[in-house]
Amino acid sequence: MTTQPTDGQLSASFRDPSGFLFSRDGVLYRQVNHKYEQEYTRLMESGLYEKLVKVGLLVPHLEVDQEPAEKEAALKVIQPERVSFISYPYEWSFGQLKDAALTTLSIQKRALKQGMSLKDASAYNIQFVRGKAALIDTLSFALYKEGQPWVAYRQFCQHFLAPLALMALKDVRLSQLLRVYIDGVPLDLASELLPLSTHLNFGLLTHIHLHAGAQKKYAGEEVKSRGGSMSRQALTGLIESLESTIKKLEWKPGGTEWGNYYDITNYSDAAFEHKKQLVSEWTKRLQPAQVWDLGANNGVFSRVASDGTSYVVSWDIDPTAVEQNYRQVKVEKNDKLLPLLLDLTNPSPAIGWANRERDSFGARGPADMALALAVIHHLAISNNVPLSQLADFFAETTKWLVIEFVPKSDSQVKKLLASREDIFPTYTREGFEAAFKKRFKIHEAVSVNESERVLYLLESV
Amino acid sequence: MHFAPLPYLDPGSGSFLIQLLIAALLGAGVALRASWSRIKGFFGKKTEAADEDDDDATN
Repeated sequence: MTTQPTDGQLSASFRDPSGFLFSRDGVLYRQVNHKYEQEYTRLMESGLYEKLVKVGLLVPHLEVDQEPAEKEAALKVIQPERVSFISYPYEWSFGQLKDAALTTLSIQKRALKQGMSLKDASAYNIQFVRGKAALIDTLSFALYKEGQPWVAYRQFCQHFLAPLALMALKDVRLSQLLRVYIDGVPLDLASELLPLSTHLNFGLLTHIHLHAGAQKKYAGEEVKSRGGSMSRQALTGLIESLESTIKKLEWKPGGTEWGNYYDITNYSDAAFEHKKQLVSEWTKRLQPAQVWDLGANNGVFSRVASDGTSYVVSWDIDPTAVEQNYRQVKVEKNDKLLPLLLDLTNPSPAIGWANRERDSFGARGPADMALALAVIHHLAISNNVPLSQLADFFAETTKWLVIEFVPKSDSQVKKLLASREDIFPTYTREGFEAAFKKRFKIHEAVSVNESERVLYLLESV
Repeated sequence: MHFAPLPYLDPGSGSFLIQLLIAALLGAGVALRASWSRIKGFFGKKTEAADEDDDDATN
């Protein structure tokens, strides 16, 4: 299902001539080209690599004895640590994007001390590794010479500063602009959308508003006119200014769709505990390596499913729930849980050049197990998706499925049907089973205590 | 042209120029802070310059 070849160059890895990622026999390698020899040597021998890896800012790699994918250009082949799940900035909560931005700046500061500078500042180069934002592109480092400006400044502002400012000061949902603009939010657009009061914020005034103005004024100007040079002190000042501007941006998860979901549902404690117990029992029995919790809210059941062993991707549509979940991950120092933003009725598409740079939601699966707790009525009734299509979708998404059937008699479903015609004659327990049996084997079907809901354990066939 | 070698991404003319301008301004601030801490150091006050090498990762 993935758009990535099992053997050969990865389709997102073509822009930088320093090297590229390729996979062979299911293992991910990075070819380092001769062109990048000086830089690679400096990274490895200056102690920078070691320092960054030690604090978890860079993924570690091994130099391996593998045949390069393109021999003539190759200096060596390295095998980076595999990231459990690749996620994208439009799937991150505010706090995740902010941490990714601060990680990038922290790396840049450390690199400068060792005579290197990041040559790109793409949000796609950051991934969440063991719960923390880390750089995954080992070839992002260039040699730094005093006088040089930061070549990645524009990219940093577009990928990080602009979306963060928009999320914090305008509307958190504006993170979705990143799904359209793969190279970050255009600064003139950000400048136009941000409240006028941001002109009084020195960081935003300079790095976004004046920056956007300068881009417009000097668009297409010759390289010759880019006179002047930049002292190390000036560059440090620039990086520190970006850092303090970003640190001051805050977004507090406030009024939410699900924020107090567990208080407003018709769950009794007994029903809630029974569900937890079933999820725990089934995950312990099946030991799935990776679980996707679809409609995870703030991750209560994700944590039950993970239990410290399975890696759980905890998806929810609500930015507040994802933010709360991420904050909890940080407090717990949880390295097995990744909260992400997702609208199941319109999951992340494949984007970028030839639609192959960033994988769709489905292409990053299938998961070993998925949880779909208290979501089926939202998909089948609010979004009118026929049960047979839901069965197809889930069968393509996961091997094992823990799904909760919420009948029409349930107060949550009654609410959904209160203001509309009931055009769902097959939305019954029997109808559900008939539709899902075509794609799944039913292993368990347990009525949840003190409720009318049924929890199923299904295996795709 | 001050890049050696040329970057593989276009830094953008406007981004380049505004960066020089902002950085010149901010660099002065960094210089000022450095001399201030030297002055404080002279009077026996311990500086609190954060060492990026010692602190933990940012998140």
